[in-house]
Amino acid sequence: MREKFLIRLAHWHTHYPWRILPVVIIATIALGWFAQQLTITMRTQDLMPEGDPKVDEFNRIIDEFATATSIIVVVQGEEQRIKDFADDLAPRVSELRDSSQNEAFEEAIAGLQKRITDLEKSGNKTSEINSLQDEIERLQKRIDMQLFQRVDYKVETDFLQKHALMLVKAEDLKNTKDVFMDPNLTGLLTNLNNSLEKEYVGQQESISTREKEDQAVGFLDGIQQLLQTLQKAANGSPLSEMEVQTAADKFLLGEPYFLSYDKSALILNVIPNFSIMDRDLIMTGYEHMQLLLDETLENHPEVRAGLSGDIAREHDEQVHSEESLSFTTVIALIAILVMLVVAFRMWVAPILAIVTLFVGLIWAFGTAYLAVGQLNMMTALFSVLLLGLGIDFAVHLISGFTEWRAAGDGIGDSLEKTFLKSGKGIITGALTTIFAFSALLISQSRGMKEMGIVTGFGLFSILLATLLFLPVMLVLRERWVERRRKKKAGGQPVVAKDISFKNLGRWAEWLGKHYRVTLAGAAIVSAFLIWSALQIEYDRNYLRMEPKGLQSIALMDTIKEKFDLSMEYALCLANDAETSRRLSEEYRDLSTVARTADISIYLPSANEQQERAVHIADIRKRMSSTGIRQSIRRREFPILIQEIERLEMNIIEMQDMAYFGGQDKVDNKCKSIVGDPDAPKSANMIGDLLASLTFDRAKTIRRLSEFQQHFSPYFRQSVIDMCSTEPITLADLPVSALDRYSNPERDKFMITIYPESQLAINSIALNRFVDDIERVSEKTTGGPPVIKAWLQIAARDGRNAMMLTLVIVFFLLWGDLKKPGYALMAMIPLALGAFWMVGIWQWVGLLLNFMTLMGLPLIIGIGIDDGVHIMHRWQNEGRGQIKTIFASTGKAISLTSLTTMLAFGSLMFSVFPAWAWFGSSLVIGVGACFLTTVIVLPGILGMLERKTGQDNELITDEIHRPRIIERV
Amino acid sequence: MKMVLIAGIIVHLFVSALCAQDLSGSEIIQKVNDLFNPESAHGKSRMTIVTTSGQKRTFVFESWGKNRGEKSLVRYLEPRRVKDQAILMLNHSDDIWMFFPRTQRVRKLATHAKKQKMQGSDFSYEDMGSGDAFIEDFTAERLDDEKMNGHDCYKLELTRKPESDVSYSRIVMWIIKENFYAIVIDYYDEDDPAQHEKRLTQSDIRIVDGIPTAMIAVMHNQNDNTQTVMELQEIKYNVALSDKMFSERELKK
Repeated sequence: MREKFLIRLAHWHTHYPWRILPVVIIATIALGWFAQQLTITMRTQDLMPEGDPKVDEFNRIIDEFATATSIIVVVQGEEQRIKDFADDLAPRVSELRDSSQNEAFEEAIAGLQKRITDLEKSGNKTSEINSLQDEIERLQKRIDMQLFQRVDYKVETDFLQKHALMLVKAEDLKNTKDVFMDPNLTGLLTNLNNSLEKEYVGQQESISTREKEDQAVGFLDGIQQLLQTLQKAANGSPLSEMEVQTAADKFLLGEPYFLSYDKSALILNVIPNFSIMDRDLIMTGYEHMQLLLDETLENHPEVRAGLSGDIAREHDEQVHSEESLSFTTVIALIAILVMLVVAFRMWVAPILAIVTLFVGLIWAFGTAYLAVGQLNMMTALFSVLLLGLGIDFAVHLISGFTEWRAAGDGIGDSLEKTFLKSGKGIITGALTTIFAFSALLISQSRGMKEMGIVTGFGLFSILLATLLFLPVMLVLRERWVERRRKKKAGGQPVVAKDISFKNLGRWAEWLGKHYRVTLAGAAIVSAFLIWSALQIEYDRNYLRMEPKGLQSIALMDTIKEKFDLSMEYALCLANDAETSRRLSEEYRDLSTVARTADISIYLPSANEQQERAVHIADIRKRMSSTGIRQSIRRREFPILIQEIERLEMNIIEMQDMAYFGGQDKVDNKCKSIVGDPDAPKSANMIGDLLASLTFDRAKTIRRLSEFQQHFSPYFRQSVIDMCSTEPITLADLPVSALDRYSNPERDKFMITIYPESQLAINSIALNRFVDDIERVSEKTTGGPPVIKAWLQIAARDGRNAMMLTLVIVFFLLWGDLKKPGYALMAMIPLALGAFWMVGIWQWVGLLLNFMTLMGLPLIIGIGIDDGVHIMHRWQNEGRGQIKTIFASTGKAISLTSLTTMLAFGSLMFSVFPAWAWFGSSLVIGVGACFLTTVIVLPGILGMLERKTGQDNELITDEIHRPRIIERV
Repeated sequence: MKMVLIAGIIVHLFVSALCAQDLSGSEIIQKVNDLFNPESAHGKSRMTIVTTSGQKRTFVFESWGKNRGEKSLVRYLEPRRVKDQAILMLNHSDDIWMFFPRTQRVRKLATHAKKQKMQGSDFSYEDMGSGDAFIEDFTAERLDDEKMNGHDCYKLELTRKPESDVSYSRIVMWIIKENFYAIVIDYYDEDDPAQHEKRLTQSDIRIVDGIPTAMIAVMHNQNDNTQTVMELQEIKYNVALSDKMFSERELKK
């Protein structure tokens, strides 16, 4: 049946090449159009099983909360300059609009409106009309679309000026309220010291967590600003009203800008009007933002700035993944071409093979679009995978055809014999690989399942292209060559070139004859590599997956380093503010959670507000009743100096506590105020201030009195303003805070949960964090829960697919080679190759991870081909022909293995480490299977021939191969 | 005579084994507790912590303990920056004072500080000086014996008593049968008895003044995947220590 089909196919190619060619061209154009629509997504959640509740919830949050994904502008430079830059950039961001596709949208709207009119005339199509109207509404929003809602880069000062004290815990208010009770300098410093001695030293837990360490740094920052302004005043430098007020505001409310701890970086959070799911708008939004950033940077040459955050990362990964794939594909194609030219000692056939492969790839991309619509982090690799595998078909076909032609057969005969000899092997090899890949269909994860679909369809496409297109090209080329030859040489035959691998044949023959040595050597090597394979570890550091050299990723590291802000966070939705508060508290109680962010930061519960109101009222009362002194009295001055000295001591003690506790941020902040004890010459701001104050006492008193006249009334009024005891309601919250934590309808509230540990490098911490937060709410989602689930699913899918692949391959081989023993023999190189592969992985330092795990079932599908081709040939050729088999078919499998390794090896140049590992692991896998085929299989065949007699009888096939080796 | 000696040895071994077999959880923990709390001690240790920005920091300190751990004093020797800084813990760490040599001031820490990490390490003040907590705050249950780190061990599970406010809901420990030294102790979360929080592994056990002593103690925090190594460089037991040295006033000296 298969032979009849192959003979007929060869006949068609020989007699009707010009009829088949147009069919191929039309199919290529049609599938090429679909191929162009194919896009790539690099999100982990797109690898997860379809309908996974965690992924659905994550996508729902991303869709509903524009703030869940954003562009983060990271600005670096000197403090004032980066603030100026931010003030310049921020208002221009909300002016960015996309009008590039207005015409297309207007046309589309006109078309839809016409359809609605038609439908209205025909009547009874209300649902269709409604959906069309929705589409019109969506398109209208896209005309001159405002790309970004707003930019968050400062705290909500207006809100805080009224409600800041209401946001402080009752216990903390009780401990710190003394600070807010006297606006005069001496009183303020005395109260501050009392509070510090009670709060910071008395309750060491205050800075025992990261969140509280941040609070301590913010508090110290306010003190530092006050001291700096005092220093200026003591020196007699002119002080503006604004500077005095800023000092009071920073002391009371903290730094308004989103500044890093060392004040050398600032972030602007750009909130888009689209979600991360909208690929087109990600591209457009990013490009507009980058353009604006470049323009603004021209006016601020001393500042550096770049884009990061989820949207910038998605943009960078998409662009770079496409570039990376194109780059690696070109490298692979060139390398394969060069290798084939060297191996075949001719140009034309390798070029034809590459052209065939190219056609096959277009078909594969087209079918991939039709089958899955979009490629993901795993399936994006299928083009390189197909490149490596698909070229094998052409190599086998060209190899056979050129050998028959060199032996003197006509075009038609050569093609028919090639189809019969190599075509069967090609089809079996392709089908085993396709079926092996189809084992991935049992996978739960979308990533692996789609990998099975696209590679299966893709390989089939290339097989079709090889069987339909390549023979046509070979026939047409041979006809042309014959015509030229007749014209030039008068029809004289050309001397055949022996292009077989004679050395490989001799090597295999020797191994076959000395099968005991061969098998013993193979057993020793295998034992070592199996032992090595058993030592391999699972890579639990998914940070290593991060692409290298991408700006958005590099800036995420800057954000982590300078702001201690992790991009690893989980998310949860609550139906109301009260539930959000309750869940947030439950999350915060977990030892694995560092902090949470939700609406309750701005909206304490009614009870909490009542408790706080008591203290706030007290502060208000006492502050209102405290008079402002117009001057600092002479006898008060020593007390003021004493209090400043006391403040220095308190900060020194804080510094020592922080050093002991390993809280570097607090230690560093203290160093900037009281100096570095390890560097005696370092600046001590308080020491300098004391020196200035005591230099000229009379002058200092006068200057400080002037400062107090400006500072104290403003400070007092600010505190009184902050003492609003009116209950805060949802309606009072600033829009930016509302948008950050609730959806536009204000009926869903988002809680962000930050882990205590760095999860990416510690899977135990990842598991604990996720287990903990899922105990609070099963609906908790976000990066860590999705990644944890994905790692588990990937490991399970990889193992299951590998087992199933082995079973499928065995039955396919049994059917093909007719005897289960032969099937097992063909599988021996594969089984050993798989162990050798993992052993070598361990040896060269590769770890098991979801990408290398996916390589295991794939290598079974790929690695089996070498054994299949040799076994087929051995069955056809008859016994005693090991030398011939390995010289000829060995050449083909050498070339196919090399081409496959070159294709996979090209992935090592990828900026995506996951792809590079995948490439490396498969290069090793294909190499290992090739080595076991050309080393172990000759030994097995040699042993078999020795044990069962050495006659030259043919086993199945009647067709003799050309004896070109012997002839030449 | 020889036969009698062999028989005697066999009988002794049999009786010892029988006695060991009969020991209850509370009897074993009593012996462990006695070893953990020598009457008095004076030593020098070295401890390495990891700071919040991931740097390693090593401290060397001298320590004194009296009244079975009821009073302890720690004085830092290295690095230079913390030289002479001292911590005084009284009433099994319920009262903690700290002396700062740079300001020459002594400050008292709040009572609940005992549950906090000690100097950024994975040990808490409570771990360092909890006195008879194993007996007073927990109920001990003997589990099946197990081998741990090459030693034949008793395995005990300690469950927090309802009235206690210690930081751990549950403790599991492996105790060397030969000398009743707890070589591995697993601490479980205050609120969730299923959540393994920390593991203390003690090794290099030497007999000092007749008392088995671990020269290396490693506390591994399961949540953060961090660990603190405490190496005992010198140790003496049953030394004469005056009550005076465990006072706020002496802290400054």
